[in-house]
Amino acid sequence: MPLPLRTPAQPETPRPDRESLIAALAARQLDRTLTTSLAPIDPADETAIGATNIPSLDAQLGGGFPRGQLSELVGARSSGRTSMLLQMMAAATTRGELVALVDALDMLDVSSAAAAGVDLDRLLWIRGHVVSNPGLCRDMNQRAMEQAVRALTLVLQAGNLGLVVLDVGEAPAEALRRLPFTTWLRLQKMVEGRQTMCVIVGNEPMARSSAGLTVLVGARQADGASGFSPKTDVVSGFSRTKTVGKFSDRLFEGFDLTARVVRARMRQYEDSVASFSTAVAHHV
Amino acid sequence: MSDPSLAPALYACVYQPPLADSACSAANVLTELAEAFSPRYERHGVPLVIIDIRGLDRLIGSPSTIGGELRREAAARGLRAHIAIARTRTAAMVLALSSPGVRVADAGQEAEALAPISINILEKLDQDLASGSTLQARGVPVPTPDARSPKPADAVLAVLTRWGIRTLGEFAALPSADLAARLGRDGLAWQVIARGEDTRPLVPSRADERFESALELEWPIEGLEPLSFVLTRLFEPLSTRLEARDRGAAALHIELGLVTRERHQRSLELPSPLRDVRTLRTLALLDLESHPPAAAIDRVAITIDPTPGRVLQHTLFTRPHPTPEQLSTLLARLGALMGQDRIGTPAQVDSYRPGAFEMKPFAIERELQPQSSQRSRSSQNGLQPKNSAVSACSAADVTTALRRCRQPVPARVAVGGDGRPVRVTTDRRGFAGGGVTACVGPWRTSGEWWQTNTRDRSHASEGWDRDEWDVALNDGAVYRIFRDRSTEAWFVEAIVD
Repeated sequence: MPLPLRTPAQPETPRPDRESLIAALAARQLDRTLTTSLAPIDPADETAIGATNIPSLDAQLGGGFPRGQLSELVGARSSGRTSMLLQMMAAATTRGELVALVDALDMLDVSSAAAAGVDLDRLLWIRGHVVSNPGLCRDMNQRAMEQAVRALTLVLQAGNLGLVVLDVGEAPAEALRRLPFTTWLRLQKMVEGRQTMCVIVGNEPMARSSAGLTVLVGARQADGASGFSPKTDVVSGFSRTKTVGKFSDRLFEGFDLTARVVRARMRQYEDSVASFSTAVAHHV
Repeated sequence: MSDPSLAPALYACVYQPPLADSACSAANVLTELAEAFSPRYERHGVPLVIIDIRGLDRLIGSPSTIGGELRREAAARGLRAHIAIARTRTAAMVLALSSPGVRVADAGQEAEALAPISINILEKLDQDLASGSTLQARGVPVPTPDARSPKPADAVLAVLTRWGIRTLGEFAALPSADLAARLGRDGLAWQVIARGEDTRPLVPSRADERFESALELEWPIEGLEPLSFVLTRLFEPLSTRLEARDRGAAALHIELGLVTRERHQRSLELPSPLRDVRTLRTLALLDLESHPPAAAIDRVAITIDPTPGRVLQHTLFTRPHPTPEQLSTLLARLGALMGQDRIGTPAQVDSYRPGAFEMKPFAIERELQPQSSQRSRSSQNGLQPKNSAVSACSAADVTTALRRCRQPVPARVAVGGDGRPVRVTTDRRGFAGGGVTACVGPWRTSGEWWQTNTRDRSHASEGWDRDEWDVALNDGAVYRIFRDRSTEAWFVEAIVD
């Protein structure tokens, strides 16, 4: 007759306190998902924050875009995302930083960059081969997209650049969707712990949970409202907001825009909206 | 070879007045003395040597200390030499010829240091120039007088004496135009010397060391992986020699001997002086990946053009940049990935052509200072408190940008009765178009039409003649479109974004 099994008494494990739990979550990068207790970033700390030099936006972001994180600048065509990007690049070069722009579709207008105040000598411009309308050459376009991501990877590996931008603003959606999702996670891992701001410019959010900050740029309504309803835009996949430029009798004068933070590691910044206007440099 | 980022030029002149024993032995001792301090020295006909002592201040100390050290070394070799140190070769030479001991001319005060010296010193300089031919006849390399070397000073001195000029300072103060009218180019050349200015750079008597290495392979190799081992073996001793001489590689020349008896040659211009073996090997391999040899390799030879080493002092107050090694490797990798013409720094060009630009190589050797005003502005921005969910609208502080289509997109544009676009459509997916809700224009531009009949019909050299419009469509997009007046065709040129 077999003897009944007797299990030894399990020692009672101590319950982890809140700090150790948060530290363990942070180590596995689950801190944002389950808690909101990230330490605040000092807005005056230039090693942690890169100002965009758009005062209203910087105020809403607690000083600017975070360094060491993958950020997204999202907007439809003519939403003002490029104007905002060039302003960020100008701010970075003014601080003495080097900027790399992986221009996947080769659409940078050099005159616009100079008019925005970008110090062109500090700009490393990598011109990609992606086309917005690949026709029958979709595979070639896909290779060009992967080439652009590879170039971004090389730039991030080199390190010590203040701002690194991947501009896929007019890229076909299927080319972006065919990129493995791990691409963005890998990029986030590469930029972590560095003093580099990595910004992806696109029509819609791509990096999802890998993104530290996602800013949606769109039109400002005539009554001053933000132009998008915060809840529905996030859920419904960032519906395009129509942007209406300001036209006078003889001139196009610019846009009235809003930038809304739709995702941020620091949750107190989420859903904050900044308004700003753009003006045309008439020699561009 | 000169690197502007290095310390300013500094020369020491050591002159041994004629002794009882032969001048040749004194000259040899001076050469030994010069070699003890710098490999860059210039021997002259009289027992005089000019040494390039730039950078020695980090090793020895101030110019006065260097002068004292030179004097001590000369005394140890049995010489009682005149020693002078100045920022220009000429000032050092004149000071050494004029007075014993150690003389140091302050930076920028060379003319003042020479001013009290009698103009008779020019005779000694004249002898020095004339004796150069004697040394050349004996096989000693001496600087060849260039076309600007003045003719014998006797005639000039005689005139100056008649004018009552006694010192170099008085001579230097004479109006150059009037002097040239009376004494010609020779008079001007002597006046430049009297001001202590150099008319030519230092010509080292010892030829620059060549940094080259070659290896004959017992068995031919194919592929770049085995070649990397060979390159490492060649680069390591070269790097050690470069480090010993405080030199870096400015250019890299690779010559591969092929089994077909052909030679595969590649040259790489490096953006900054490098001597790191891994970096040099990576750059060489990346270039050979892009330009592979046509056959197996049985000989590898490397030649390096040396340049003075780079002195880099990091500060706590400026943001760190990629090191030149990292940057060189990055640019080489990007060039191999994207194509050399696809990476660089954009630059504006002096042209009214829409979208005109040029690409320059990316370099960070020059340090540009950040604008303090902008910096303070950004700091202030960062400190603004977040006080509401929707901020107040800031003034127009962002410049509207364009996203330019390098190849304009052909479009169909319906024009209203007043000649204004009312509908824009294209066949390009993603540029569907729509009805025009607002538009401004036309802005007529034309240019370079005079080049349309030349042989070069490339896009960059063609003329243009067009009417531009900025149009807002009912889908919210704003485009810059234009009508080519020669073909009446419409194109979308850029997206206003």
